[in-house]
Amino acid sequence: MSESIIRIEGLSFVYPANERPSLDNIDLEINKGDFVSIIGGNGSGKTTLCKCINGIIPHFIAGDFYGEVKVCGVDTLDMPVSTLAQRVSYIYQDFESQLVRPTVLDDVTFGPLNFGMKDYHQKGMEALRMLDIEGLKDRFIWELSGGQKHLTALAGALSVKPDIIIIDEPAAQLDPYNAVAIYRRLKILNESFGITVITIEHNTELIAEYCNSVILMDAGRAVWIKPVRDALNAVNDLVKRNIYPPQVSQAAWRISPNMPSYPLTVGEAEKYFAAARIQCPVESNDCGLGDDAHMPHPAIEFKDVSLWFRSLTETTKNVLKDISLSINEGENVAIVGNNGAGKSTLLKMITGVIKPKGGHITVYGTETAEIMPEELSSTVAYIYQNPEEMFIEDSIRKDISYFLKTRHKAHEYEVLDYFINDIIKSFGLEDLQHKDGRMLSGGQQRRASLAIGVAMQPKILLLDEPTGSLDIESRREMVNSLELLKDRVKTVIIATHDMSLAAEWADRVIVMKDGRIIADGDTRSIFDDITLLDQCHLKPPQIVELSKRLNMRPIALSIDEFTSRISSIDEVMI
Amino acid sequence: MNPFKGMLDKINVESVELELMRTAYGSTTTLLSKLDPRILMVWYLIFAFAPWFFFDSAKLLSIFAFVTVITAISKANKLVLFLLCLGIIGQMACYAIVAYFLGGNMAALAALLTLTLKLATISLASIAVFSNIDPERFSDALLSFGAPAQLAFSISYGYRVIPVMVEEYKDIMLSFRLRGHAPSKKGFLSWRYAYYLLKIAVLAFYPLILNTAKRIRTTIEALETKGFSYAMNNNDVKRLKLSYLKIKAADIIFLLVSILILIAIILI
Amino acid sequence: MERVLRPERKNSSKDLMLFILVLALSGIENLIAEVLPEFQLGPIEVGISSFIFVPIVLCILFDSFWAALAAPIGELVFADLILGEFGGLGEFEEVILLTMGLYIAGKMVKDVTNRKQIAAAALFAFIFQDLIGTFIDMTKVWVGIEDFEAISGLPESVFALEMIDFLVEFAVTGIIFGLIPTLYFAPRLYGKIEPLLGIKPRLIEKGAALNVPIRLIGGAIIAVIAAAAVSMLSGAGFNIIEWEPEFLDQFGQWYIWVPITIAAIVAIVVIWLGKSNNGEGQDINV
Repeated sequence: MSESIIRIEGLSFVYPANERPSLDNIDLEINKGDFVSIIGGNGSGKTTLCKCINGIIPHFIAGDFYGEVKVCGVDTLDMPVSTLAQRVSYIYQDFESQLVRPTVLDDVTFGPLNFGMKDYHQKGMEALRMLDIEGLKDRFIWELSGGQKHLTALAGALSVKPDIIIIDEPAAQLDPYNAVAIYRRLKILNESFGITVITIEHNTELIAEYCNSVILMDAGRAVWIKPVRDALNAVNDLVKRNIYPPQVSQAAWRISPNMPSYPLTVGEAEKYFAAARIQCPVESNDCGLGDDAHMPHPAIEFKDVSLWFRSLTETTKNVLKDISLSINEGENVAIVGNNGAGKSTLLKMITGVIKPKGGHITVYGTETAEIMPEELSSTVAYIYQNPEEMFIEDSIRKDISYFLKTRHKAHEYEVLDYFINDIIKSFGLEDLQHKDGRMLSGGQQRRASLAIGVAMQPKILLLDEPTGSLDIESRREMVNSLELLKDRVKTVIIATHDMSLAAEWADRVIVMKDGRIIADGDTRSIFDDITLLDQCHLKPPQIVELSKRLNMRPIALSIDEFTSRISSIDEVMI
Repeated sequence: MNPFKGMLDKINVESVELELMRTAYGSTTTLLSKLDPRILMVWYLIFAFAPWFFFDSAKLLSIFAFVTVITAISKANKLVLFLLCLGIIGQMACYAIVAYFLGGNMAALAALLTLTLKLATISLASIAVFSNIDPERFSDALLSFGAPAQLAFSISYGYRVIPVMVEEYKDIMLSFRLRGHAPSKKGFLSWRYAYYLLKIAVLAFYPLILNTAKRIRTTIEALETKGFSYAMNNNDVKRLKLSYLKIKAADIIFLLVSILILIAIILI
Repeated sequence: MERVLRPERKNSSKDLMLFILVLALSGIENLIAEVLPEFQLGPIEVGISSFIFVPIVLCILFDSFWAALAAPIGELVFADLILGEFGGLGEFEEVILLTMGLYIAGKMVKDVTNRKQIAAAALFAFIFQDLIGTFIDMTKVWVGIEDFEAISGLPESVFALEMIDFLVEFAVTGIIFGLIPTLYFAPRLYGKIEPLLGIKPRLIEKGAALNVPIRLIGGAIIAVIAAAAVSMLSGAGFNIIEWEPEFLDQFGQWYIWVPITIAAIVAIVVIWLGKSNNGEGQDINV
């Protein structure tokens, strides 16, 4: 029997402005050395629970606090935050705001120094070494990539030698490659250094691969804590709360909903489905080229486009190299690649805010270099990765009408209102329209930002990382909203590292790496080429990988496709 | 020439930003930057006060010359220096011209010359010193002089967030432009266009203020968990933090030689 | 069983939060104003010296000494120090003036939704800071030049030019980038920014008239008069008394720093007084 490190009894907490408790009579025990993941929908109290463990609640955030939280045997009320902080380190969802010092080593040593540890420098270096990022020590925080910043925040947490590390939604904020990198390191910290790790996580594939147990939260209550396999196999419990187990489990569950257990990884699924019969697709519209009946009408053309910047050290940094590209009207294009591949820059160049240093870009025949972004904006709309940068007015409704109102006279506003009401309605924003965008949840913010883009009535809509930093529930909401675009916008281009989004939504995929286009083709043929994806550090969705291993021809791009083509396997057991 | 045309370019064009970033974050080692920041600040105090003691232009000129030499071996930003000189000379020239029209004579010019020298010397001294202390060391020096920990922290925090906030401000400006409507007629001296841009420049603060507020809450919580307020009132921590600041022989020599030169100038 | 915790440093962390918020925002505001081009004609600058409405709005919304103090420090740290334009001791007076101006402005407003009060506060913050700054600049010229008054035309020209500069600044920074945006921003941000910070919005005293913290303003003005008086003594006074002119030639004019120091001390004391009493009792309402 392992010894418990966190013991929570009868914990309830009510935020000052709220009436309903955010935590409702929680009893929970977490074992020393465990790797736990907390799952649950938005507002289920995950973050609040974690803030009770590191003492921020109630020491820092006041409210009505009932019950008891013991960390390492001591009541959190009897310990000042600063003492508690040396036992429990916390990495925020918004980890960038947590980095308060100019350089990496400064930030990592900040904790140990404040706690008066004489060997603070050594402790900081040790933490960097544990994560294998000593090379970053003298870099400025602002120079780092998102993944490096997250690692720095983690190193800062490690440097005080905590017993427990809590990480709030690492995978939502990072691209898949960096999310895996973080989890690999957490696993090492957990297994080799005995640190208890608690993550708040929505990505069940990562949970399946790295965590040992799972806590399910719902409406402020801890529903259960279970070993990871049991937890993810409780599919009914999860789906009811809009939490989705790994794609392969979902597929298996949909085919046979009453099995005692489901595969969690592609490897397991391969065995699970080994005996299943694969049917040919009912309709074979997967040549991917679409019908060539009408002539393609080029909307965007790149000719030998390059872009570079001068950096601080007088060297030039190439952002884009020799990009030639033609996108036709009516296409749904996904540009994939990891952070730093040049996806966002490519999109911004289409809007005309960044002009090429070499080559030419034309949008419907107009050279972007010769026109102001304001003029181009009636053709091209750009949706920011961070929706908060698009909320320039004090209500969603005003934001949605901003573009039109700058282009129409006051007496026409009444007519505009019909159109705006229509958009607000179709994006389901009626109840939110008078709120400030910043007050909305992540998923609502994305929906609102899409509505802003659509209200510009553009011919081309560009979306930068539309599912980035969203939990699974909001991600679904977003993907559904993308469907709404189909009738309103002709050409949609999405830059993303979300491979299942690309697989399910796009009909053409462009793969970028280090500022170059590596591959460009129809979705199915790109996802069929595992070596290509590997080479770009892109991990195809589980279902694609599974269908490939099962020799499904052509490969399945979504769970629906997969389940529609596989026979029932009730007789097969793992 | 169209004075407003460049305004937008100035916000966007990478070269200005790069210049800014290089001044703030470029690392060049100079003789002065190796010295202890506290010594440099004492040096600055001496040379900021000294010019007010004299009216003799020869002496002022000598002090000015010495400070110029020190500035020359520091990594002061050339652009800043240029603007500084232009500013001071322009100001004095204006006084002189107006004084002339108001019935003055050459005496006004001569008097102004000594004042110009004083102001220039003081400004040079401050540029020479403060461009050679990186903000981190400056904040530690202040801390060791007994400044409150919040002040010291705020300097290095500013150093941390400037690039991020500038970037965000630029993005918000773009957000306005990508949905805005630039005036089709630019007007005399492009005033319509300038007005459009300045209006955006002001309005862009609305999202910036709210977004920053949202983030700062996390920062404050993080500071708490990293023991900042615990350390704030703890002298041991302060000593530990500042233990790397050591006054070496080179520091003393630099200060002594400077003082000797100053004394020599006064006495001769 | 509810378990109540002694409030542990809750206020100090709110102060720190406001301090850092205003610091960062007024810093960035200044930095951006710095990057925009200026047209300089001698002492007269046409250009944006700052988007001063940012600290004014925040100080009106929070009515906090720390917020007021953070504004000039933010300017120092972000715009001056990091760009290598730090003016050393000269920045000191600016810190005092702006802090006092903003702090009093915040105190003046009793009803954040009342546009007249906001307008009055915004104008006060700018005028207090800039007008006194102009006087200090003139005093510096006076002290820095031997026999300043004796040089014909010079005092008049300095006065004329500095006043023109002040008026231009007033029109550009005070009105266009101060008053007008403040009127637009303050009501929009009220009730919106506070929840983001996790604090309660400032109470609106409906119907309450503009608060003129007479003691604070009085104290501030006394500080300035003291400064002016002492510099008069050091500049003109000694010449009349013929007191050791030899000595004066070499060491006379350091007195310029005496008034500034005195002003600083008075200012701090005044603000402290204002803080502890919160301007009640002897304030008059207009």
